[in-house]
Amino acid sequence: MGQLIISVSREYGSGGHEIATILSEKFNIPLYDRNMLDQMAARNGIEAESLHQHEEMKRRGLVRTVRGHSSSVQDSVAQLQFNFIREKAASGESFVVVGRCSENVLRGNPALVSIFVRGDEEEKTQRICRLYKLNRLEAKAKMFRHDKKRKAYHNYYSTMKWGDSRGYDICINSSLLGVQATAEVLCDMVSQFVETRKAAEAEEAATEKKSS
Amino acid sequence: MLAQILALVVFVTMFAFIVWDRFPKHYVTLACGACTSIFVFGFAMKDAKAFINTMAVKGIFTKEFWYSAGEHAEQTSGINWATIIFLWGMMIMVEGMAEAGFFDWLCLKIAKLANYEPVKIFVSFMILSSVLAMFIDSITVILFLAAVTIRLGRTLKFNPVPVIMAEIFCANLGGSATMCGDPPNIIIGTSLGYSFADFVMNTGAIGAVSLVIIIIYFYFTMRNRLQDPGDRVDPSTIDVEVKIDNMKEFLTSTIIFGVAVALLVTHAITGLTVAFIGVFIAAITLITAGRKAPMLLKRVDYETLLFFIGLFIVVGGLEETGVLVVIADFIAKVSGGNAYVMIAIILWVSAIASAFIDNIPFSATMIPVINALAQATGVDLATMAWTLAIGTDIGGSMTPIGASANVVGISTAGKEGYPISWATYCKELVPGTLIVLAISMINIYVRYL
Repeated sequence: MGQLIISVSREYGSGGHEIATILSEKFNIPLYDRNMLDQMAARNGIEAESLHQHEEMKRRGLVRTVRGHSSSVQDSVAQLQFNFIREKAASGESFVVVGRCSENVLRGNPALVSIFVRGDEEEKTQRICRLYKLNRLEAKAKMFRHDKKRKAYHNYYSTMKWGDSRGYDICINSSLLGVQATAEVLCDMVSQFVETRKAAEAEEAATEKKSS
Repeated sequence: MLAQILALVVFVTMFAFIVWDRFPKHYVTLACGACTSIFVFGFAMKDAKAFINTMAVKGIFTKEFWYSAGEHAEQTSGINWATIIFLWGMMIMVEGMAEAGFFDWLCLKIAKLANYEPVKIFVSFMILSSVLAMFIDSITVILFLAAVTIRLGRTLKFNPVPVIMAEIFCANLGGSATMCGDPPNIIIGTSLGYSFADFVMNTGAIGAVSLVIIIIYFYFTMRNRLQDPGDRVDPSTIDVEVKIDNMKEFLTSTIIFGVAVALLVTHAITGLTVAFIGVFIAAITLITAGRKAPMLLKRVDYETLLFFIGLFIVVGGLEETGVLVVIADFIAKVSGGNAYVMIAIILWVSAIASAFIDNIPFSATMIPVINALAQATGVDLATMAWTLAIGTDIGGSMTPIGASANVVGISTAGKEGYPISWATYCKELVPGTLIVLAISMINIYVRYL
């Protein structure tokens, strides 16, 4: 298998992270989410939490920019993650990445399949209630809060809007089939993509060989 | 009255947009400059002369702009072309030095001389930061110092965050010591006709006292957080390469830097203005750079220069409409003509304002104000000028957004995985800033009043 990068963006409670985990297991490739900051924290000998608390967040408060440098910690952590994603992609590694504007950072990369997972409000609420032992009201509040934060973050750092189908290769509603079945459908689609790409590359190589 | 209101509205809008930080700053000041030209000078004042005065282009073609035998006010209103030309020249020189690897070499050489001991590096980098910022813009100083500090921090296993914050503070302090150290000083010097030596003898002397005290303060408050004793690395095992890739380029850039310093130090004696020095230094840098000259020209931060042009037009609008005289009269009234109160107001207001807003527009606005204050109250203009310089330069250290060096230092650290939040920054640097401001105020009171 050549390089494969799967970017999974998701609505809170849609099961996007679980789907990303299944995809990473299925294709036997690493999954990068907030854990990408752990490596950096370990290298610098600092608490990972000091980085985690600023990730997937739009810049806050009074910020000043000087010659492309920003005083915002959120900007710095976002750039740190974008650079991590770019470096991993440039190294030829295959991986699954959750959120972090990854579909925007790697736009144009031939190995990228970008997915946006959404869900029906009722299904998402029930899932959040089940996972976090919350009542419906708390679950809805949590969902709206997280989605608002993700949307603001994504729209600030990306050219395309969060959840806009034009910004992704595949947009899917996980409530239609359930999280597990959605993951399986996506696995099939990505496998198909890998096969098609392999065939195209082989054809290209053959054409090149013939012409030389 | 309409002209005054319009000038004030444009000015406040400009500040609001600068603080909002949503659009590039030079777009904001240029757009506001255009609004001042159209609505204030054109629509409200219908005064072409006020517009021409503010553009101040005619001054560039006079002999005094390039060479002035005696000390005098070079330019009091409108676009301060001397500042812009000087900054352009120094930017080219600094780009040449960076290209030659001067800053990396200097930082690593000093770390080696400090025997790679974190505490010694900490103290020596504070001094280095101050000294470099006296002659080079603080952005460049911090850009290189912070990067080297992080590199050394990883190799020597020490925490670079306190070191970077101390470097930021010292860069701002060093910048206050000379005429070319910080943009507000260049504007003050060129507008009011003070020389490099004037700054060194006044803000420089005050800065030197403050530097000694702040090094002692940072040493005692930060040294224990630099490194865990268990992380100590044997200096003999350190393998940090201190080498120059192109010795010819390195020597050339070092000599040019030396010439620039010599010309600045002696400019009151030679009569060469800062505009001349800027153009001369840029010319020799470009000539000696050969094929690299276009690249150096391309790397100049033209956005900042455009920012200055727009800013000077907006402030020119306030000046031509008499708004700044109203502010000066207000300060004179509040202080009751008492020089002590007036100095305290200028120092603390400029310090607190500079902690939250760009100190360049603030000082550009305040220069005509202190000029009018001096005329109205008889308080020595020079004393107020030094107070303004110290207030704006030092006050900027108080918050992450107060000065350019702070932003660059925080950003460099953050991009390498060392986040510096508002809380962390302010906890470390607000007490230091207040100490230095208090010392400076006492210094000014004792020496000048």
